[in-house]
Amino acid sequence: MSRTITVEHLARVEGHGGITVELDEDAVTSVQFDIFEGARLLEALLRGRSFEDVSPIVSRICAICSAAHSLTSLKATENAFGVEVSPQTALLRDLLYRGESIESHALHLFCLALPDYLNHPSVTALAADHPDAVRLGLRLKKLGNSIQETIGGRAVHPVNAVPGGFGKLPSMDQLVALRNGLVEGMADCEAMLDLFGSLPPADFCRADTVFAALSSPGDYGYCSGDEIAVLSNGRRQALRAAEYKSLTSETAVPHSHAKHSSFQGRPFMVGALARLTANREKLPRRAEQAARRIGLTLPSANPMDNNKAQAVELAFDVEYTLNLVERLLNGGLEEERPVPVRPRAGSGTAVSEAPRGLLFHSYSYDEQGRMIAADVVTPTALNAASIEDHFGQAVRQSLEKEIPALTRKLEMIARAYDPCLSCSVHVVRLRHGV
Amino acid sequence: MGKPRVGIFGLTGCAGDQLVILNCEDQLLDLVTALDIRDFLTASSANDAGCGLDVALVEGAVLSQRDEEQLRRIRARTKLLAAIGTCAVWGGVAAMDGNGNRAKLLEDVYGGLGSSYDSTPARALHEVVRVDLNISGCPIEKEQILAAVANLLNGNPPVYPAYPVCTECRMRENNCLLVEKDEVCCGPLTVAGCNARCPELNVPCVGCRGPADDANVNSALAMFVEKGVSRERIAMRLRTFAGAGLAAGQGERG
Repeated sequence: MSRTITVEHLARVEGHGGITVELDEDAVTSVQFDIFEGARLLEALLRGRSFEDVSPIVSRICAICSAAHSLTSLKATENAFGVEVSPQTALLRDLLYRGESIESHALHLFCLALPDYLNHPSVTALAADHPDAVRLGLRLKKLGNSIQETIGGRAVHPVNAVPGGFGKLPSMDQLVALRNGLVEGMADCEAMLDLFGSLPPADFCRADTVFAALSSPGDYGYCSGDEIAVLSNGRRQALRAAEYKSLTSETAVPHSHAKHSSFQGRPFMVGALARLTANREKLPRRAEQAARRIGLTLPSANPMDNNKAQAVELAFDVEYTLNLVERLLNGGLEEERPVPVRPRAGSGTAVSEAPRGLLFHSYSYDEQGRMIAADVVTPTALNAASIEDHFGQAVRQSLEKEIPALTRKLEMIARAYDPCLSCSVHVVRLRHGV
Repeated sequence: MGKPRVGIFGLTGCAGDQLVILNCEDQLLDLVTALDIRDFLTASSANDAGCGLDVALVEGAVLSQRDEEQLRRIRARTKLLAAIGTCAVWGGVAAMDGNGNRAKLLEDVYGGLGSSYDSTPARALHEVVRVDLNISGCPIEKEQILAAVANLLNGNPPVYPAYPVCTECRMRENNCLLVEKDEVCCGPLTVAGCNARCPELNVPCVGCRGPADDANVNSALAMFVEKGVSRERIAMRLRTFAGAGLAAGQGERG
């Protein structure tokens, strides 16, 4: 007898998607992660646009990762024009990434994922039974937003980061306020780790997963360096950002507006768990300690551990950001204007780690700085094939074969990836002269 | 009167306006106490997808048959429909090219499969159904959505400025980026409500909130031309967020 598991419209994720898994008796015959987010074709609309207009447009690909899109876009443009930003700009951009990561992880962990573990439909329903947990999550989320507002000028779609630098530098008073918030955030992260360490285990899908992440040259981070590590069967392969297409050998599939990616024929996972795994030999002390407390062992064969990995990053990022802000407060900020940007004909590629994983922007400009070709590859597009793979594994491994139990597991796996479906459909490649 | 029944929906967009609602961290628990939120798929897995609503907040533009059908269903079940965000009010970034050759763009992106996808030209909500309230911004400002909720709870229609960002910018005593620095700042044409967020940071306004009803369009365009900015550049900039709306100087909202 054939049966179908259907999730018409997945709740508590960003964007529009569903799940369809076909079974013949208990054997899985087909798995689809359907993404029916409308196609906005933004990258195609960039053609002919001046370089100055590009980052505000591409940030609209996704609100939750708008800072990562803005900053990766700026870096791709700067790479195309041979612009080198100041160390202070690089540091402030790092700060903006951390703010986004703190906000995004807190939003996902507390508002989207936690209700699953505590059997509630939403964070607001959770507020009735677990008010302290919800307030804790909202405080951490607000902390991330206050960093984004201070450095980026707005929590969603930052406006202050421009080609070559920043429109305006934060004042000392603003930095003091940030520091005070971060000191409270340190205590909140202790409570956050206790909470997520005490949740009932979610261990129903074991998979031999391939991971891909930026292998940061210095501190554990999201935006420095351009070496990508791919870990497969205990083997580590290194790629440069410019070779990103070997990670994104994409095919369009009829059931989804997101293209599917594979590396050497295998799906791979990007995101917090991939980042911690790729950098596990050199994890900072705080991250190691947080991973121990929350019971995360690396490498992990359980994709649900992406939630734990986000909690570890959240704890680490708050401490790291506090140190960055202290450094700025002690050393002061040098008044500087953005580095002048002189357009020239050329191409540039940039990679960074958005909260959900690897993000690539690759542009070609003409001599007047007008866009000829744009390619944007987002983490959720990279993850789509891996999500389907893990759906299949979870159904095969489940001892409960009833549809409602299976449906719940599939929804939890989808959410553990923290998919961003608005992002996922933005996979575009324009050719010169098209 | 009981609590108003509210639905919060996203059509095609970046979910930024729903995120702004979730970003009201200090007010969120009060909001969910004052309102009876029945349908909010982004935040809840227990939704009543059929009940009548007093207020529907809808973000995103209509970019597919599926979006259009959903919007019509929402219209049919709600007393008041509010468009939130520039995509819902004006069409937003997806409408910037006036939807020139969509079939070609789809094919460029998805190859031969492109023609089989459910994809229609970008439209603002008012082009499909009657809209009762427009709250623009990319994203909306927290204060404006909170003010809308507070006003509606008291039975008053919220009132938003019709004047341009320039007015707010002058009140903040900023140096003018357009007059003094020759930057292509859309402040004279863009509706206020952001407290001149960008020019305050020395960054020219990109027009993300859509056109201001009270803007002096001819004088602003004359100033751009005087500054030597090409008409093509001005038009491109003005079309980015509001489709034809800002470039034409005025909108035709529902």
